[in-house]
Amino acid sequence: MLRRTTAVAGIGQTEFARRLPGTAWELALEAILAALADAGLQPAEVDGICRFAPPFERVSEPMVVRALGIRELAFFAEAPLGGEALGAVIGHAAAAIASGQASVVVCYRALSQSQSGRFGRADARSGPGPVGPGSVSTAEPDGHVRVGEEDNRCFHWPYGLVSPGQLFALWATRYAHVHGLSGDDLTSALGTVAITQRQYANHNPAAIMAERVLDWDTYRSARIISSPLRLFDLCLENDGACAVVLTTADRAAALRDDPVYVLAATQSLAPYSEPMGIYGEDLIELFPPAAAARLYRQAGVGPADIKVAELYDATSFMTVKSLESYGFAKDGQGWRYVIDSGIAADSPLPVNTHGGHLSEGYLHGMNGLNEAVRQLRGTACNQVPGADVALVAAPAGSAVILAR
Amino acid sequence: MAVPIIPDPGGLTRPYWEQARAGRLVLQQCHGCGHAWHPPLPRCPRCHATVTGWRQASGEGTVYSYTVVHHATHAALADRVPYVIAIVELAEGPRVVSGIRGAAPDQVRIGMPVRAVFEEVTPEVTLPQFAPR
Repeated sequence: MLRRTTAVAGIGQTEFARRLPGTAWELALEAILAALADAGLQPAEVDGICRFAPPFERVSEPMVVRALGIRELAFFAEAPLGGEALGAVIGHAAAAIASGQASVVVCYRALSQSQSGRFGRADARSGPGPVGPGSVSTAEPDGHVRVGEEDNRCFHWPYGLVSPGQLFALWATRYAHVHGLSGDDLTSALGTVAITQRQYANHNPAAIMAERVLDWDTYRSARIISSPLRLFDLCLENDGACAVVLTTADRAAALRDDPVYVLAATQSLAPYSEPMGIYGEDLIELFPPAAAARLYRQAGVGPADIKVAELYDATSFMTVKSLESYGFAKDGQGWRYVIDSGIAADSPLPVNTHGGHLSEGYLHGMNGLNEAVRQLRGTACNQVPGADVALVAAPAGSAVILAR
Repeated sequence: MAVPIIPDPGGLTRPYWEQARAGRLVLQQCHGCGHAWHPPLPRCPRCHATVTGWRQASGEGTVYSYTVVHHATHAALADRVPYVIAIVELAEGPRVVSGIRGAAPDQVRIGMPVRAVFEEVTPEVTLPQFAPR
């Protein structure tokens, strides 16, 4: 049982922007050093790294160890599948610390999409992988682009299914059909998410969209990217890095007055639950209920105990669906919950209080994790009064519950 | 219309594309238990037999979900927008990704009955697509 055996001792992040001058390596180091300084720890004390696997994370363990003069890593592990690694890296770090294999573990995510290609662009990526930075395509002299059978790409790329946003659009269409939503119902729900998150971002100086107001007219009149998703339903594409430092609960409590304890961290993989895994039993089950139940059981808390949630929002639809999967709304009622109750500061559950991937920046959920830590410390820009337990959830049952 | 993104099959999926070129939509099937599935796998996911083959599918199915793409995210797709991506649930159960032929993007609906049609993209490659039936 991991519950309260480990804690977040420090968090760090760089500036987030569409384009930053530094390489992903430089950004990663900046975020990691900031997290270590926040924790009051020296780089030489780091003995573990848990990170997002390549091709998503390109900054390797040796790059970090060399550049920071870390003496020796006793534990390092990588979790695959992009955003689905979020719960995993924290879970691996906590497990390594709880089992005594490491004592100070760094988790990080660094992105320079301005240099390595925007995630939404299928022709700007290189290296293997189902989606994200990864899908190989080779332009041949005859003008054709040939795609191999790895990750079943040959069965969807020729039909123009090449980017994550298109997959989320397929989910949203199916969801609206299964639960009987009109086009206006879906627009109202998704727009409420996008606009509320933008309002949070407008009070968060770190947010890329801090200065940009989003109103209903602008939201509704935005161009359709992939129906039913409009421009503002899709996440930002940016540069930046985030890092957290975990250590034992005792050490964290000795380092600072406001350690944030890990109650539980889960990961999950079912047939075709991975990105572009469109052949599974239920297309729209992004977050398996069994994984959510496991998460709550391990944490020893339930949905009613969660005071703030940072839900992975590659698109606004994922925020809506996560509210169902993690027990805040009944199955098929997340859209109604969002319209009726909202996700704002005065709602039963404030969600994505930093602005989320839609309006703060896109860091594969790691910026949501940092925001949850700030909420539990009481230092968030959009502070939720009395926040003592927070949920950070990524796709496919990858999630973390943190507590004061 | 030129469809410049084409499969570059390996050993596991080559029979699917060879059959498509002959105008047949096929599913991988287990010789042991009869289970059929898509996309191809090295073993039967139900009984784990390694002796698998292919069966011709009826080619009939219904639209399970769809999206109309208005913003091209690959240079090769720039002259195709708006285009439909559909997930078609075959009568046999498995799902496939497809375009929709013979219907305007705004006519596509979930549950729409569709049938496979075969589109020669290059002399070597034929893509199964689906059209209203």
